[in-house]
Amino acid sequence: MGVVEEWENRVGTVQMLQSTGAMEAAAEPTELIAAAAGGDLRAFEHLYRQFSPRVYGLCLRLTGQREAAEDCTQDSFVAAWRALAGFEQRSRFSTWLHRIAVHSVLARRRGLRVDYEVPEPATGLPDRADPASDGPPLDLERAIAALPDGARHVLVLVGLYGFSHAEAAHALGVAEGTCKAQLHRARSLLTAALGLERS
Amino acid sequence: MNHPTEKSLDELLADLPRDVVPPRHLWRGISVRLNPPRRSRPLAYAMAAGIAGACMASALTWAVLHERAAAPAAPLTARAANFDESRNPRYVAARDDLEVNFRERLALLDPATRARIEASLAVIRRAHEEIRKALASDPASPVLEQLWQSTWHDELDLYDHVVRATQPAMTRT
Repeated sequence: MGVVEEWENRVGTVQMLQSTGAMEAAAEPTELIAAAAGGDLRAFEHLYRQFSPRVYGLCLRLTGQREAAEDCTQDSFVAAWRALAGFEQRSRFSTWLHRIAVHSVLARRRGLRVDYEVPEPATGLPDRADPASDGPPLDLERAIAALPDGARHVLVLVGLYGFSHAEAAHALGVAEGTCKAQLHRARSLLTAALGLERS
Repeated sequence: MNHPTEKSLDELLADLPRDVVPPRHLWRGISVRLNPPRRSRPLAYAMAAGIAGACMASALTWAVLHERAAAPAAPLTARAANFDESRNPRYVAARDDLEVNFRERLALLDPATRARIEASLAVIRRAHEEIRKALASDPASPVLEQLWQSTWHDELDLYDHVVRATQPAMTRT
């Protein structure tokens, strides 16, 4: 049985792990990684199927724009394919891939700054549709997208996708102290924007 | 039921799905970027020659048969356009039936006409085989995929022309 066929038999298990949020505990697809590193495009497609939802989610939250996230996801997997032969498995494949995704987002943003700007109110906070109403606050996704870039990036990496401050600081090219300060800022802005009690 | 505002920020963040299914077209774009056409020039020239030959063969066959038919036949390609059925068993079975019909009608033609049609069919099949080999080494190429389908259509067109063009002659006899 080939590597790909063997992996297809595990799809049910992978889907179950994804649905229960236990994906991080799933076995590393070392055989698929090795096959893809050897030039097996079909094996790489299976890696794409497994990991692209997390990468796309990460890119979507970092950019705040669907089209930009699609471009960054494609850039990430193209870059991963080209660099796969040098992947030494000292970190998890997902960790390595997410670092590539962050790099793709930041690289694109530097080149296409105007396209990646998220509309931002003067205060850095989204306005409530009707402050007097008892209705639900603005959608959390929208509030995150409206955060200033620096705060949003740190919140997405550390608060959502499990990067340590050191990893996020390294990926974003900022000091670790800056990273912690940006996270605090992001949380404060979100708390105010969503009308939450400060803890 | 918890109202969203009753949750803490950490709870709201924890509820956000980390995975977002990307649009289906993304992989196609990636695969094209990973696997650009890498055909050698001789193969590219051979394929171009094959395709040109197939087109000429179709045109020649049409010209020959047009003299026999009262009205030009509607090309089957018009019905088969954008129709990736070359791997569909039902389609292949229908095509095989058409080929049987084609062979029966071909036998009714004079030897010179039959020879020219057979030669045209051979050109189409050579082009088809060259593209099949190229596709085997470059399976993600949309250009090769399109050429592959076009040669299927060329072959069907040829069968269709012969069957239609010989229909009046048969009814007259």
